[in-house]
Amino acid sequence: MSMKRENSLVFWLFLAPVLVAFTVVIVIPFFLGVAYSFTNWTSSAKADNALQFVGLQNYLSSFKDPAFAHSFGITIFYTVLNMVFINLVAFSLALLVTSKVRLRKIYRVGFFVPNLIGGLILGYIWQFLFNNAVPALGRLVPLFSFLTQAENLILAKNTSAIMALVIVGTWQYAGYIMMIYIAAIENVPVELHEAAMIDGASPLQRLKAITLPMAAQAFTVTMFLTLVQSFKQFDVNVSLTSGGPSTMFQGKPILGTELLALNIYNTAFLSNKLAEGQARAVVFFLVLAIISLIQVSINKKKELEL
Amino acid sequence: MKRFLVVLMVALMVTAFFAMGCAKTPEAAKPGTLTLMQNKPEIDGVLKAYAAAWGAKNNVNVTIKSIGGTAGAMGPQLKADYAAGDMPDIFTFDGLESYKEWEGVVLDVSGEPWTSKTAVAFKYNGKTFGAPVAVEGWGMAYNADMLAKAGIDPATLTNYDAYKAAFEKLNGMKKELGINSVVSMAASVEMGWVTAHHNFNSLLANGLPYGDLSVVNDLLAGTVDAKRLSEYADWVELLFKYADKGVLTTGNYDSQVGAFATGKAVFLHQGNWTDPNIKGANASFKMAFAPHGSMKQATDGIFVAAPSFYAINKDSKNLDTAKKFLNDLISTPEGHSYMVKDAGMIPAYSGIALQPDGQLSQSVQAWSAAGKVYSWSQYYFTGDFRDKTLNPIYNQFANGQISKAQFVDLMTKAFIANKK
Repeated sequence: MSMKRENSLVFWLFLAPVLVAFTVVIVIPFFLGVAYSFTNWTSSAKADNALQFVGLQNYLSSFKDPAFAHSFGITIFYTVLNMVFINLVAFSLALLVTSKVRLRKIYRVGFFVPNLIGGLILGYIWQFLFNNAVPALGRLVPLFSFLTQAENLILAKNTSAIMALVIVGTWQYAGYIMMIYIAAIENVPVELHEAAMIDGASPLQRLKAITLPMAAQAFTVTMFLTLVQSFKQFDVNVSLTSGGPSTMFQGKPILGTELLALNIYNTAFLSNKLAEGQARAVVFFLVLAIISLIQVSINKKKELEL
Repeated sequence: MKRFLVVLMVALMVTAFFAMGCAKTPEAAKPGTLTLMQNKPEIDGVLKAYAAAWGAKNNVNVTIKSIGGTAGAMGPQLKADYAAGDMPDIFTFDGLESYKEWEGVVLDVSGEPWTSKTAVAFKYNGKTFGAPVAVEGWGMAYNADMLAKAGIDPATLTNYDAYKAAFEKLNGMKKELGINSVVSMAASVEMGWVTAHHNFNSLLANGLPYGDLSVVNDLLAGTVDAKRLSEYADWVELLFKYADKGVLTTGNYDSQVGAFATGKAVFLHQGNWTDPNIKGANASFKMAFAPHGSMKQATDGIFVAAPSFYAINKDSKNLDTAKKFLNDLISTPEGHSYMVKDAGMIPAYSGIALQPDGQLSQSVQAWSAAGKVYSWSQYYFTGDFRDKTLNPIYNQFANGQISKAQFVDLMTKAFIANKK
């Protein structure tokens, strides 16, 4: 056996476990899922339950559903807000903990910890904060006394409930993104900063001309991660708002903060339309793939090599 | 490389022999298996203990899976297991719509000995398919001490006008009674099961003979009785008006039940399953159920029925074990003790002398014994309709986004759109 053939055999052998797992749990289910979205599949034992091919019917009825259209709009709105907030907060935190501030190691851990709490639990914790702690704050501080009124409960109104989702999303994810920024900021060669300082550049100028361009690669990654994370938001959505409060859209009462992932879940399991839920998931996949490809290609152009 | 292959072959053969050896281990009375999936996580512990004791006696390994949560959270798990070919031997379902979902695998149990002992088994086309898990009931749970203090006789609370007068009187006595609101009601989207399932049933069944489906069938056919709906809308408005707005619009189960248990509300719109929660909050006052006041006419009864049923999986390999498990649960003293004393449920079967401890459960039994009961008819509407169509309407009404006229209009439109 030649060296080359042996090498390639070893190569595939080592790759095999991952390949098998990837094929079994990702590739096959993906294509099965796409196939199911063209059928009337329900995964239940109904009396007249023959699996039938129904063409594009699931897709058409999805697009006709105002709740689905509303979920799309609201998810994009949420994603944009969330990306801006998470990255702003994460980058500021990263600047803070890479500066000479005291106890910075402890801050790093502290900011990262929320990311280790499960989203469901986090949603319930914040639900308590919004429903009980915020009105209590209103009772303590006269300036915020409007918070004690039931009409001003954050989760009782649509717009503020979405902001609540953004706040919790940022609180949960900013620490994780901060870690990526820390690595990027610390990788900026010290000589660049020293040279700039000798030339008399202010900290703000150095941030703009050195740190930001040098960290552009990190931005590609963090933008992608926050985009996908926000688009797929599910657990916090379930436990914090369950999609409420309700609102009118195209003349129909629907759930006001039901993000796409929750809409897909509810279609599949609350409405017992598994195939239609699957069709929505396929649409979701295509849209997210296209948006993230565009995002990555835009970000890539801004990266620079040393 | 060759050596590597040899090692690989040897390893494979060893594994294969080992596996064969395992399979051929001689078996002395190998224990049977039984899997039960049910939807009450609050009784998970006691059911597991009962099942383990029963299993030890009958040489069966019983696995209990409890999946709880709102809106039939068990459904997704059951669907996943069904798709994976791993259905439990016994599972629970809640009514006609979910029976239809599983029609193909539910065993006809018409001939079982327990069927003669219950009046509330799940029947369809003259055959019995489900063994009731328990009997449950809801109405307006009231704090008897506070009503006495306000000089209101709970026996008079049978229609809309009586409730309206009582609510107004109690609302004027807020300081004296130390309450935040008269009623503890929840209408957030998360609590849609209180509005779009339980409260909705007042529209469907209040004041009708037990099992009367006339209103249900009319609504399913898209025919709306405007007078009945309008009176019902008055009732919903009354409940929302005298509820704590915070609990109403954003509260969860704990805050709703908690307000009643801690004496911050006189009435609670819930059922007897709140007994352990109220007891857990150390409530010491007297309480019982009063009827719903969803109509002008007096409706002297509360809503009582079996909330869920045990079904046996037709394709199960352990049919006899499953049948025996249910029979023993229903007819042995151990089963009775588990049902009533440990799980605190109201038994759905005759010949059980034990009584549950909870005050609200006892109240349900008293109403039931007096024959003053109305049906649960909400299960004749799909979960999709209740949770995704009705729930948002109630939620908007509670939030004050729509008026009563709009509420009636949206409900009417929803029924017409739901027509098959």
